[in-house]
This record gives sequence, structure tokens and C-alpha cells, in this order.
Amino acid sequence: MSIPRAVSHPVVAGERGAEAPFVFATVQYDSGDWDSAPMLPANVIDAVARYTSLAVAPQGVSVPLSSEACFQYPLLFLTGHLPVRFTAREFDVLRRYLRRGGLLFIDDHNHDVDGAFHKTVREEIARAAGALVPLPNTHPLYRAFFVFENGPPTTSHEMNGWGDNLVHEQLDAVLFGTRIAVLYSNKDYSSEWSYHPDNKRFLSVDNTKFAVNIVVYALTR
Amino acid sequence: MSTATLPAAAVATPSGDAVMRDVAFIEQMLRTTLGVRVALQSIGAGVASWILLQLLLTAAIAPVTQDAVSPWMFFAIPLIASLTVVVLCVVMLWQNVGSISAVRTALWIEEHGGTDFALVTWVEQHEADRHVEPSATFARVVASASAAALREARAALGPLARRALLGPLFFVVGAIAVLVAESVRTTIRQRGSLVRDGASVPLAGARAGVPLRPWRVRIAPPTYTGLAAIELSDTNAVRALSGSRIEIVGQDDRPDRVTVRAFGEGDSAARAREATFTRQRSGWSVAVTATDGPLEVRAVRDRFAKLLLVEGVADSLPHVLLNAPIRDSVLRTVTAPLALDATLHDDLGLVSAEFEVVVSSGEGERYTVRTERVGAKMLSGAHDARLRTVLDLAALALGPGDVVHVRAVARDANPLLRRGVGASDTRSFRIARPSEYDSVAVEPAPPPDVDKSLLSQRMLLMLTERLDARRVRLEAVVLRAESRTLAIDQSRLRQAVGDAVFQRLTGEQGGEHAHSIGDGHDHGVEAIGGKLALSGANTQGMLAEGDDAPVVAINTPLLEAYNAMWDAGRALEQSDTRAAIPFMRRALAAIERARAASRIYLRGRPPTVIIDLAKVRLAGKDTSAPADREARSALPSTSSARERRLLAAASLAATDAVAARDSLALLRVESLADAPAFATALTSVLESLSTGRDSADVTARFARARRVLGGIQRLPSSAWSRGGTP
Repeated sequence: MSIPRAVSHPVVAGERGAEAPFVFATVQYDSGDWDSAPMLPANVIDAVARYTSLAVAPQGVSVPLSSEACFQYPLLFLTGHLPVRFTAREFDVLRRYLRRGGLLFIDDHNHDVDGAFHKTVREEIARAAGALVPLPNTHPLYRAFFVFENGPPTTSHEMNGWGDNLVHEQLDAVLFGTRIAVLYSNKDYSSEWSYHPDNKRFLSVDNTKFAVNIVVYALTR
Repeated sequence: MSTATLPAAAVATPSGDAVMRDVAFIEQMLRTTLGVRVALQSIGAGVASWILLQLLLTAAIAPVTQDAVSPWMFFAIPLIASLTVVVLCVVMLWQNVGSISAVRTALWIEEHGGTDFALVTWVEQHEADRHVEPSATFARVVASASAAALREARAALGPLARRALLGPLFFVVGAIAVLVAESVRTTIRQRGSLVRDGASVPLAGARAGVPLRPWRVRIAPPTYTGLAAIELSDTNAVRALSGSRIEIVGQDDRPDRVTVRAFGEGDSAARAREATFTRQRSGWSVAVTATDGPLEVRAVRDRFAKLLLVEGVADSLPHVLLNAPIRDSVLRTVTAPLALDATLHDDLGLVSAEFEVVVSSGEGERYTVRTERVGAKMLSGAHDARLRTVLDLAALALGPGDVVHVRAVARDANPLLRRGVGASDTRSFRIARPSEYDSVAVEPAPPPDVDKSLLSQRMLLMLTERLDARRVRLEAVVLRAESRTLAIDQSRLRQAVGDAVFQRLTGEQGGEHAHSIGDGHDHGVEAIGGKLALSGANTQGMLAEGDDAPVVAINTPLLEAYNAMWDAGRALEQSDTRAAIPFMRRALAAIERARAASRIYLRGRPPTVIIDLAKVRLAGKDTSAPADREARSALPSTSSARERRLLAAASLAATDAVAARDSLALLRVESLADAPAFATALTSVLESLSTGRDSADVTARFARARRVLGGIQRLPSSAWSRGGTP
């Protein structure tokens, strides 16, 4: 696999690998508003540092999907509200990225199963990697670091009636063998996690813990 | 037998009965020896006939009539023949065994003992009449003579047995050894063609004779393509469009089974299924449907197999290239229709095409999307087409922030809906919001008032400096006239700057119309002697009175420029150009500061948050309780498995080219999807094997295929190379 792995034992406190730190990368794509959740990367980085000893870069990066620079990052985050149409170059890079072991995490910022983002991005992923299928709530992703017995944690946007006013019980995924290549969420984590990390102290329960599972899964599977 | 001993009583106390018992014992020994020799000779003859017939069938008959001879004949004919030979040998040779009698045994003893035929005479008498007792004298003579003869015969029995048995024994052992060696060699050859990962897969041609007769392959493309069906003679690989019906028609007895296996990710065994036969008038047929990937159709009869590899080719989506518009854009207003132009191509034929226009509106968490289709065109099977239309953006009733996505889509006749449509790249056109005019690329527009003021003030300053330089040479009237002209321009510019001093909520800007002492319009400034000054009361916050919209900001640098211009204008009114120049420079600098201060970037860079890792590291109070991690199994190395199969096929090519070709063809179709370069290299090897080129050429192609598989790049020879590239 050509994608560098940040660390091999991410959960051992005090251990520091000599490898490059994990860098949270947000995907830029030509169509749509790829930067609709500007505070999410910082919050995920904060959560990773807060709960693990993973070497992590203090700031995220934005990487064009049309660039082979994507191959430097084991986890790519893609979000937006608007229709998603990948260019031929973006398709090519994405296919190779997934085939080489990368994990693409897509979150529907609309939280709307009838929305334009939902419809178009699923079409594009089907063309690039295969059809998205429901991911069982017993999947190792939900035990990669924290244990989520009931699958993906519910977001306040689901509970408060935004978007399609549905609570989605499962995430979807494209599996290559047993490995998740594409993880797709309708739960609007883009809204749920897009706040300044300093405000985390006002929460009784940290709602970004699931992001740690995604990062650890991407680095260890 | 050679170690057998005579009964002790026969030697110690010779008598008539004792002599007869000795003779009978030796007769039995002779019978046993000859019987074993007959058996060995018969077995040897049978084995020899088996080997001879096998060689005859394999070398002489099979190449000529391999299709006509059933496979069991290669086993049954030698077996029956060898059994017949064995029986004949036993029958013929057993006569010698059956002819042995007491008299002949006595003669054999006489030959070795020499009793002057007394023993033979006595035995004949005894055989003629067992109740007649010889005289005592004769009995003693016989007893003493036979004792010596029997000792001699006993000594001769061992060498006789060795001579009788060793020859046939060696022959039988040798024949069996040859038989076993031939069987082992056949087994090794068969296993040599099993180039799959440990799986026992006999391939067609693993033996020299292929039991299944040549078949015919009929390929019927899907109906929607309108292509005619084709029929091929005996072949082991075909290339067919996905959905095509592949029918294999055989003229001989049907195989035991025909399995169809699809290649791809996952457990291959689970993807294999057994095909159903259809009885034909003079044979059998099996039909399979080509998929997007390769299929292996394997007909098996007894221990022979015959392969047909189907290389499924997916019907490609129409290729669509959007020629116009050529790039994305941000529009300030919708001013002109948008020309759309696309080039379409499909290998089988286009059916329809159109432009798909998706308009998304909204912001924040609320978006609405609507889809329009324009320029739809029916193409009735054309391979190439051009799609043109004009999109009236005004008809879409676009508002600020709306985004228009345009792409061309084309469909062919393939009825599979989930396959999708051919689509071009998408172009996006966004209608800019007023708040982002300063930061986005917009259509050319007049410069802001501040920028215009900047240019004008710089020009006035230059004209004034030039006039000041000429003033000593000018008459006073001319100087006064030119200076007054500049003063009027400076006053006009001052009034324009005054309009930009106040920023109102509605975007309306207002200036000096109401700024006089005691006019009741307190905008946070007050007019003093023609100039404006910040008042002490309302310099912060919004002001609202009368019909004017609330003032949200006062541009302080422009206020300074306004006052400096007033001073410069007054000096120019008095033809004092030298005094005006410092004020004009001060006004110019103030305008530049105002211009820089009002440049606002609303979009394009998200807020930068850098996490203080040292501060937050492991500060979380929640602790994880992850399940034990599962051991990661080693990734299956597809390449190494393929290399093993390639090497096995290469070694097989020297002895059985048919089996090697089948193995390579199988390997090729499996590699088409994920290793196309390797598949191409295998195609070259297959061509070389089919055309019967020299072994060096075949070896070179095998080596190249192995290099392609391993990703090895060979550099051309240079002056520093020790030798050429093999």
C-alpha cells in the first residue's frame, strides 16, 4: 500500500512513532461547496489529540480531488450541500485512491435523503467504487476506539427536525473485501462537528468521539 | 523351494513305500516350480502386451482418430488384450506342468542320480500294479540306488528352480517397473498443467488425446445492438459483448458436466455454477450469457476437460464532450443567453441526448434544487452526433447565490437502466451575492467610487504640479484661468468623495447635502467653515432620522480627504498652486488608505484554527474500551500466485503446448480487469505459441510477461553495460 500509515499502535498512551503525523484532509471538488464545514477539521483534530496518543498535525489541509496529493492522506473528508459531479480526472484519482487503500468519508451536509447532494454523490460513488450498501452496526468501525453499541451516534440535527427529519439508524459504505473504502453518512456530522473546539467544554458529552473511531479505523485497517 | 529338504525317513530307511514318497515329493516340487514359472511368464507377457498396446494407441491411432475413440477404449483395449495373453500363456504352458508324472520324475532322478534305470523300472512296476511287491533283493537294490539318486536330485533341485524362475521373475519385475514409470510420468504431466493455486483443475489437452470432439460456438449479441450472430469453429476463447448469448454446440456424446465460473473479487468457488444441457438432434448444446467480466466454461468428461474462455466486454457508455461553455464562471447578473455545445459518440449507436440543467438555490441549511432538460434530441442510432442549443438563463429566474450546473447526457439503446448514462463534465455558473462582489470574479463593471476618486485626484495633482512649474512663464490671466479650472474639478471631486463618506444600511450613500450647522441632520459630523468634522455625540453606532436610511459607518479616511480637498480647492481658487499641492497630496494618501481599508474578503478562506496539541493532548475524560483487535491476515498476493502459474505454464509449454495455451488463456482473462498490461503480455505469448515460433522467441515473451507482472523496467544497454538486454 502506498499510502503512509501514521502509526501502527494508535491507542497506547505516551507512545510516539517516528512516522509522519496524521493529517486531516478535506477534499476539494470542482462542483459544489466543499468547504461548507470549515470548523470540522479542527474539531476532529482536537478530538484525536484529546483521546489518543496519535501523532496528529495541528491543522488540517484541503486537497483537490483531481490531485495525486490525495494519496498522501489515509483519510479524506468530503461534504457539501450542492450537487456533486466529479470530473474525469477526479474519478481517476478517486478510483486509484480507494484501490490503494484510502478511506473516503462522505457526509451529507443537507441531511436529506431526497436532496441533491445525496442523490448525486451516491451516483458518482457508484460509478467510481461501487454501490453503497448499509453498514451493519456491528462493524469493527464502531469498536475501533470507542464502543458504539447502537451504531453511529445520533446528531442533534437529526433530532431537531432538520433536513429530512429522519434519524438514520445506519451508515452506508462501499466495502473492498472487509475493508471500508467509502463511508457515507446522512447524519449531518458536518453540522454537528463544525464548531470551535474551545466550545467543547460546554458539552456534557463530547459528540466528536465517533470521529476518533473513523480516524483510528482509517489508520489501522 | 530350493531350500526344501527331503523327508528324513526316506534317506535313513529306504524301502518301497519310502522311495515312492520321495519320488512323489520331488514330483510335487517339480510341478510347483514349473507352475510358478508359467504364472510369471504369463504375467510378464500380459504386462508386455499392455505396454505395447498403450504405445500403439497413443502414438499411432490417437493422433489420427482421437475424436472417434472414446477415452475408455484407451484403458479397456489393453486390459482385455493383456488378460487374453495371460490366459493363453497359462493354457499353453500348463500342459508341461500337467505332463509331469511319477515315471517322468523317476527319469529326471535317473538323469541326476544314475541307478541304471532300476528306479524307473521299479516305479513303472509300482505304477502298473500297486499291490505287487517286488522281490526283497530287488527292493534292496532299488533302495540303495535310489538313496544316492535322491541325494543327487535334491542337490539339483535348487539350481533348477533358480534357472526356471529367475528369468521370468526379472522380466515381470522389469515390465511392472516400466508400467509404473509410465503411470507416474502421466500423473506428473497432468499435474504440471494444474497451474492454479493448489486446486486440482485438469485442463483440456493435459493428455495428448482430447476426448471431446471439436465444438462450434455461436455468439448472438443482445437484440438492442442490431448486430448479427456469428458462428465460430472449435475455439477456446471468444470476446463477446455483455449480454450476448454464447451457445456451445457439440456433435459427440454430452460431457459429464459443464461448469461456468465468473472471475472477479470474492470466493471464486461460490461463483461457479453448473450449466444445463440441451439435447440436440446429433449432440448437445450449452448456452451461457456473457457478463461484463470474463467467464470460464469448462466441459468435463471423465478425467478430460475442454475450456471456452469468454471475455465479456461491457457496452461502454456514450462518450460526451462538452465543447461550450468551456469553463465555470461567476456572474453578477444574467445578461445573455448561454450557448451550449457537445460532441457525442457511441460504439453501437446513440438514441437520445440532451442538456441537463440543475439549479440549486438557497444558503445555510436550506437549499432547493430543480432540474431542467433542454435541447433534447433523438439520434436514431447514429455513432457520432453534435448537440447544440441555447440556454436562456433569464428564463430560469435566477437569484443571487443560485448555482446552475450544466452537463450534456447521452443514451444508447442499452435497456439496462442502472447502467447510467454517458455524461460530460459539469460546468457551474454562480450568480454572485452582493456581499461578495469585492472578492469574487465578476463580469467587468465600473470601478468603485473610491477608485475613481483615486485616479481623479492623482490626475489633478499632476496637472497642478505641471501648472506650478510653468507659472513663472505664464501671464497672470492665463494662470488664474487654468488654476480656476482645476479648482472647479477639485470641488466636483470633493463632492463625489463626500457621497462616499457615509455608508448607509440600504447601500445608499449620502454626503454633504445635509451637513450644515443647525440643519437638524446630525450624522455624527458637523460642518465647520465648509469642512466636515466628527461631532462628539454620535460617532459610533447607527444613526437614523428623517427619511434617510440609517448610517452604519463613517469612512474616516475619506472624511480627511474631503477636508484636504476643500483646502486644496480654496488655494486653487486663489491661483496659489504651490499651496494647493500639499493638500492635494494629503487627500490622495487619505483616499488610498480608505480604499485599502474598505477591501473586505468575505469568502475563499475558512477561519484558521490551530489546535494547541500540547494543551489538549489526552485531556479527554472519556476512556475507550475497544474490543480486541483482530489479527490482520496477510493480504493475498495475487501477483505472486500469477507468477507461479506463469512459470508452471512455461515449463509445461515444452512438453504440452495445448495445456500451456489453455493455462495461459485462463490466466489472461483473469488478469484483464486489474492487470491489463500483464494480460497484453500474455496475449503476445499465446500468439507466439499458436504460430509455433522458435523456442527462443517464446522464451523471450515469457520473460517479458514475467517482467511486466513484476513491474520490472529494463533499461537499454549503454556503454557501461556488461552485456545486452536479454
